[in-house]
This record gives sequence, C-alpha cells and structure tokens, in this order.
Amino acid sequence: MTYNIMTCGVGGQGLMLLSNIIGLACAENNLNIRTAETHGLAQRSGSIYTHIRIGDDAFSPLIPYGEADALLGMEAIETLRYIEFLKPNGIIILNNYIWHPVQSTYERVKNPQGKYLNIESIINKLNKYSNHLFLINALDIAIEAGNSLTTNVVLLGALIHTKDFPLSFNQLEETLPRVVPKSALDVNKKALFLGYKSIE
Amino acid sequence: MISDVIVEDKERAFLFCNEAIVRGALESDVKVVAFYPGSPVSEILDTFFQISEKFGIKMEIATNEKVALEIVAGASMGGQRSLTAMKSVGLNVASDTFFSLGYTGINKGCVLVFADDPFCHSSQSEEDGRFFAENSYIPMLEPTDPVEAKAMVKKAFDLSEEYHTLILIRTTTRINHQSTIVPLEPLNRSDFKPQSFRSFNKKYSTVGVRARELKLEMLKRREKIRDEFENSEFNNVIEGTSKIGIITSGVSYNYVLEVKNKLKINPPILKLGTTYPLPEKLVQNFIKELKAVIIIEELSPYLERNVKTFAKDVNPELKIYGKQSDHFSEAFEYNVPIVYNALRDIFQIERGKDYNAILKNANQLKSILPTRIPVFCPGCPHRATFWAFQNAIGGKSSNIAFINDIGCYSMLLLNKEIYSKLHPDDLLLAMGATLGTGSGISLASEEKVISIIGDSTFFHAGLPGIVNICNNDENILVIILDNSVTAMTGQQPNPGTGYGPGNAPKNKIKIEEVLNGIGFNNIFINDCFDAKNAITSFKKAISQSGPTVIISRGPCALWNDRNKRKRGEKIQPYFVDQQICRKCHTCMRDFYCPAISMEDKETEYVDENGKEWRGFSSHISSELCDGCGVCSILCPYTNHEARSERDVIRILNKPREVRHDL
Repeated sequence: MTYNIMTCGVGGQGLMLLSNIIGLACAENNLNIRTAETHGLAQRSGSIYTHIRIGDDAFSPLIPYGEADALLGMEAIETLRYIEFLKPNGIIILNNYIWHPVQSTYERVKNPQGKYLNIESIINKLNKYSNHLFLINALDIAIEAGNSLTTNVVLLGALIHTKDFPLSFNQLEETLPRVVPKSALDVNKKALFLGYKSIE
Repeated sequence: MISDVIVEDKERAFLFCNEAIVRGALESDVKVVAFYPGSPVSEILDTFFQISEKFGIKMEIATNEKVALEIVAGASMGGQRSLTAMKSVGLNVASDTFFSLGYTGINKGCVLVFADDPFCHSSQSEEDGRFFAENSYIPMLEPTDPVEAKAMVKKAFDLSEEYHTLILIRTTTRINHQSTIVPLEPLNRSDFKPQSFRSFNKKYSTVGVRARELKLEMLKRREKIRDEFENSEFNNVIEGTSKIGIITSGVSYNYVLEVKNKLKINPPILKLGTTYPLPEKLVQNFIKELKAVIIIEELSPYLERNVKTFAKDVNPELKIYGKQSDHFSEAFEYNVPIVYNALRDIFQIERGKDYNAILKNANQLKSILPTRIPVFCPGCPHRATFWAFQNAIGGKSSNIAFINDIGCYSMLLLNKEIYSKLHPDDLLLAMGATLGTGSGISLASEEKVISIIGDSTFFHAGLPGIVNICNNDENILVIILDNSVTAMTGQQPNPGTGYGPGNAPKNKIKIEEVLNGIGFNNIFINDCFDAKNAITSFKKAISQSGPTVIISRGPCALWNDRNKRKRGEKIQPYFVDQQICRKCHTCMRDFYCPAISMEDKETEYVDENGKEWRGFSSHISSELCDGCGVCSILCPYTNHEARSERDVIRILNKPREVRHDL
C-alpha cells in the first residue's frame, strides 16, 4: 500500500516545511517515504509542488497521474494546476485563498473591467474532478492559533482526518519541535490541532 | 535537515539527496571541498557552508566550476580527500582541467558530483554529461536514489584512492531533489593534518611525450576498473521469466520497478550503477539468452549504443527496443506513465490504465488557468533597474541590441511580453556569453549593444569578455547588476560579497576597482532603488561611445530580508491609500511587482479641483511587500521625498510578518 499526497502552492508559502514534518514523522515511525520537490527557479513567486509517497511500493519519486490519495493546495490556482495527479474522487484539502500572478494583473491593466479568475470558478472545476473537496479557511484558523503564517500547518492538521492517512495527530505533533523554533512551537501545535478539528 | 546530516547516534534519517551526498562525504572523512553553486546541486554547497567549520573541513566557494575542480584536484594531490559538485553546464566550464586530470590522475580520494538536468528545469541545455566520462576515461557511478547516492560517494573515495583517479558521480535533477529515509553509518572523523606535497613524490604534468605515455596508462587503468565493475554492488540483476529483458540506470530504474508491478510483468532487469566503464561481461551475460532487451535511460541513447555493440558478439539476433526504435524519446524527463505506455506496447498488454485520458480530462478543466511564470521577487533590485532602463530608452528600443545572460535576470526572457521593449529573448547563451556575443554583434551590426550581466556571473565567466571589450575599444554598454550575492541559486556569497563559508570574512573584490584596473574610463554607479536618478544615469551612459559600464547596485531582496531578520530589523511594507488613488495604474503597468494587484471593486475619488477619478485602484499586499519603495517613486501622485498624508503610496505603520520556517 502506498499513500500519495500531492502538495502545491506558490513559492514562499511554506510547502517545504510540510514535507519535512511528514518525512520526519515517517522516519520516527518506521514508515517508508519518498518525496520529490521543486527547488531553484520555480521558487520566485512561481508554481511549486511536492510529491509525497508513503509506503513500501513507492519506487518512483513522482506520483503517477491519477494516483494521489490527497491533493493539498495552499493556493487555489496551483491546486487546479496539478489536478491530474489526484485519483478520481480523491481528497482535496483546499486553502480558501487565491494569489493572482503578475501576468493576470498585467492583463487587467490592459482591460480593467475584465476580472481576475475567482476561487468559485476554480472550486467549480475541482468539483468536476472530485466530490471530496474540503475548503479550509486556513488564514482565519492560523490567526486564531496565534500566527497568520501557520496556514501550512493548519492544512496539515486537516489532512490527518482524511481516509487512510498513515500518520496520527500525535505522531505529527511530536515532530514539530524538530522543525519549528522553540518560540513558535505552541502556535504551531495549536495550528495543527485547530486544522485537525476543522473538518471533523 | 542539517541536524540529521551530522547526527551521531541515529541509524537512519529522512534526508534530501544533496544532504545524503554530504553525509557520505562526511563519513568518508573528506577534508577539502570547493564549489560554484548551480541548481540542482546548490544544496550540497549550502549544507557544507553550515557544517564545514565544525568538522575542520577546508571549504571555498570558488569563482567558477573550473577553479573549484582545480582546488579539489590540487588538494587531493596535496594529500587530502576532496569533493566538488557542479551542474552539467558547470562541468563544461571545468572541462579543460577535467580532461587533463584523466591523464595525470590524482592522489588522495577525489570525487566530482555532477548533475544533468533533463527537461531544463533550471538550465540552458539538456546535455547528457555521461559522454564526459567516456571521453575523459574517468570512471562514473550513477545512483538511483539518495540511499545509493550516499553509498556511492563512499565507494567513490575508495576507488579514487585505489586507482589514483578522479571519480564522477552523475545524478539528474530528479535524483538530487528527492528525499527519503537514508541509513547512516558512523562519522569517524579524523583531525585535519597538513601533508607534504613533496614527500608524495608524484608527478602530475601532461603534455606531448608525457601525455602519450599517460594515455596508454589510462587505457590500462580503464580495463582494470572495468574488471572491478563487473562485480560491483551497484549493478544488480533481478531475475525474471520473460525472454524480454530490461536494462536501465538512474531514476529510470525506479519507474521500471513501479511499472513492473503495475503491469504484472516479470522481465529480468539489469540495473547499472557503474556506467563508465560499462561492465561488458555482465551485460553480455544478461543479454545472451534474451530475445529482446529494452533500454530505459533519459536523454541520449548512451547505454543503448553500448548494448548494441556488446550484443554483436554474444547475441547478434537480439532485438533492441529504445530510442532508436522510437519507443522512448531523447527529449525531456521520463515518468511512470511514459515507461508504462512503452512497456505496455512492447509486452502487448491490451488492458491497462489510460494516463493520456487522465491528462486530457485535467487539461480541459485547467483551460481557465492563468500562467504563473517565475518573476522578480517583491523588492528585487532588478525590477527597479529594468523599470529605469526601459524609461531611459523610451521609444528607441529598435536602436539597441539587448543581450541577456545567466542569472535571476534571465527571467526577463520568461516575461518577454512584460519587458517587450527590451526584446529580452533575442540572445541568451551561457554564463558570461553576453560580453563575447555583444562584441560580435557590435562588429557586425549597427545597433547599440547593451550587454547585461550579474555580479557573480561577472566574476565567474565575465572577466575575459570584459577585458576583451576594453582592449578592443568596443562600443558596448555593459550593465552589471550587482546584488551582492549569487542570488538565483540561493544567495551564496561570491567574491564581491565579503564573507565565505561559516560566515567567515573574506577579501571583498570591488567590481569598479576591477574595471578601473582594466582601464575603463566610463564607469557609472547607480543605486537601483533611487529609480528616478537611475533613469538620468542610464540616459547618459547610453549616449557614451566606447566601452562603458553601469553598475546597478542594490542587494538581493531575499538575502537582504534574511539579514534584516538576523539583525532584528522590521520590514515596513507600503500601502495604497485608496481614498486618493487616481486609478492611473502606473504602478501596475510598468512595474510588475507580485505584491501589487488590482482591486475588484470600482471606487471614486474627487480631488480638490473637483476632478473625478473613477476606476479600479491598485492594492499592495502587506504580506508580500518588501518595502523597497520604488512603486512610491514611480507613482505620479506620490512625492516620495515629502512622505505626507497626501501621497497615494505610503509606508504602512505595521511591520510585515515574516515566515519563521523559511
């Protein structure tokens, strides 16, 4: 059995921390894991992704199309961009957030009445691919946890609830001290917990 | 994580491949390392940067890959184990020295990790570096994942010492940018002890008659190593039942294992980890009873051509499937679906997954998406420079030939629509090539040549070109984009930065002093964030005849933010006062900052003269704004100097929150 998670977002959203937490938790709990990450050019406000594969049959670092159990999107446009990796009817954890690329603003300057793509249109498309979409107001929850920058950890908390996810809340929580500074530990723990509670 | 790279009391850790390579070198008691950064291997440098001091490792960030290779080769000749890593095009730069090292050999273990970049994720070509090994007679190992990468680094040091030769480890982007659980062994570090070069009494000169002798020795060495590789632990055979076998290496092996399970086929598989010299007998034994063999390797048909040659003696009837049979492409990366489709075809399996249908369906849903091309970060000095430069040339862009180079500013090319005045996709070849090609164009054409180059690229490969421009009195304007660091690869220091590994101080080389020394008379220095004055300066520089340089100076935003954070300084973002914004869109039209977007709701402002300004005002994201303030300089309704309540774009009185985990 392999559990595949595709995570995506925009450079600077803290995607790397997510795969690090999951990777460390797997190492501590004797689970096999393989990830493939984007580094370099794509970081500059560009589209980024991480393939995360947990289990003994995962040889390829990349998830084959249509085989991700879950798609975790930090940003709506980028979530739809990687939809082919998700299983039909797989789980989508979507941050209720859209970040318009500069190219879209450039188009709007040419035609100010033309609107940006809105999140509802994206959700509409995602729903055509899967009816297991969870829309999370991660920013609100992160602020409730005490720091608006913990949206990534909030979404990770939500992921724990999904069917067959191989790591428990406690296993993930125990790795937090290794990846976040001491001063930010309590806030991150709370963010993980509130995210976990968000889709009960 | 760094803590896991250096951990002493653990048997396994979750490591990034580039970290696993560093761990392998640490376990091998490496003493000297040198690098020039380049994706996908930059993190090898970055990891050593943080730990070299703790382990008594002598480390240099070299001016370029050739110098880096020379440093580690010299260190090996001087009696220390050494390692360098570079991207494929970096090995091109180092290749002059590299080929000679094949002849002379080395002394203590010396390892060169180089990474090809199928799909050109972050490179200008998809070159196949495996031919460097064949052409230089330098042995090569190819890992399939981080576990094997670490094991190969250790083996490479031993082989290097046994056969007195440099050893190559060839990776690809998908290998370097992979993480998995890696078994750890003890570090067993020894103290650094200087050796005596003279006491080794070894000679490393190659020319003429000596080169001819060395060539013959090198050929003998290759055959000895080939014999050793016949029994290498890095080549393995998976027994199978079908008469069609598979030969593969590198990341493709992982795809093969996964597809084998998916298609429920059972072919014998030969995975090759020693890809130069190839273990001829092992391959021949594997293919001699087969009807057909499938060769699965990214890029060139390197294994395929060799297997074809090997088959001639043992199995001339063998059918070979690969690139030459059009089952696989020489272009781009492979993945599970590509290997799956090819094997399904060859094994004639009717029912199966339709990956193409999944893609087609997804592409239909995705047709609404805008592109998201990498752009200059908020606060990037290059954005300010090119805003000023585009203004300076005004409508006269047809009179200039604008030549691009390798660095963050290469992204101008990706955003060619936005920077259309510059035609930034006209010419971009290689590190420093902007100067030589600029000279050529100025000889051949009537346009005014503008060559752009970054500070790190200037030191890396720009010095010969800039000397040539001055020496030949070329009518070229060179814009040196000096952001103080090698920004693109992760903000590593360069000769102009002033510090090195472990943040130890280094002699800071000033670009203007270099240019003065060469003999440039026209040197302009701009503060790129002082954008209005920069326009005047650019105009003046463009009007000069003869060799002219503008140094456009301002720190890399990512690097500067990190330094500010360390010093405890706050980042003060700007905001747009929507009550008084005239909706002229100047800040969006000409500046392309990811922090600036357009409001969705129309608003209206009536000024003191009763004039109505209706439309969509701009908005600055306080999370993204870096506080460079250039948008407030270019806003026609803001007096940047006055900083009054009447200014449309002003500093927000709330510091930006900064990610703690980045």
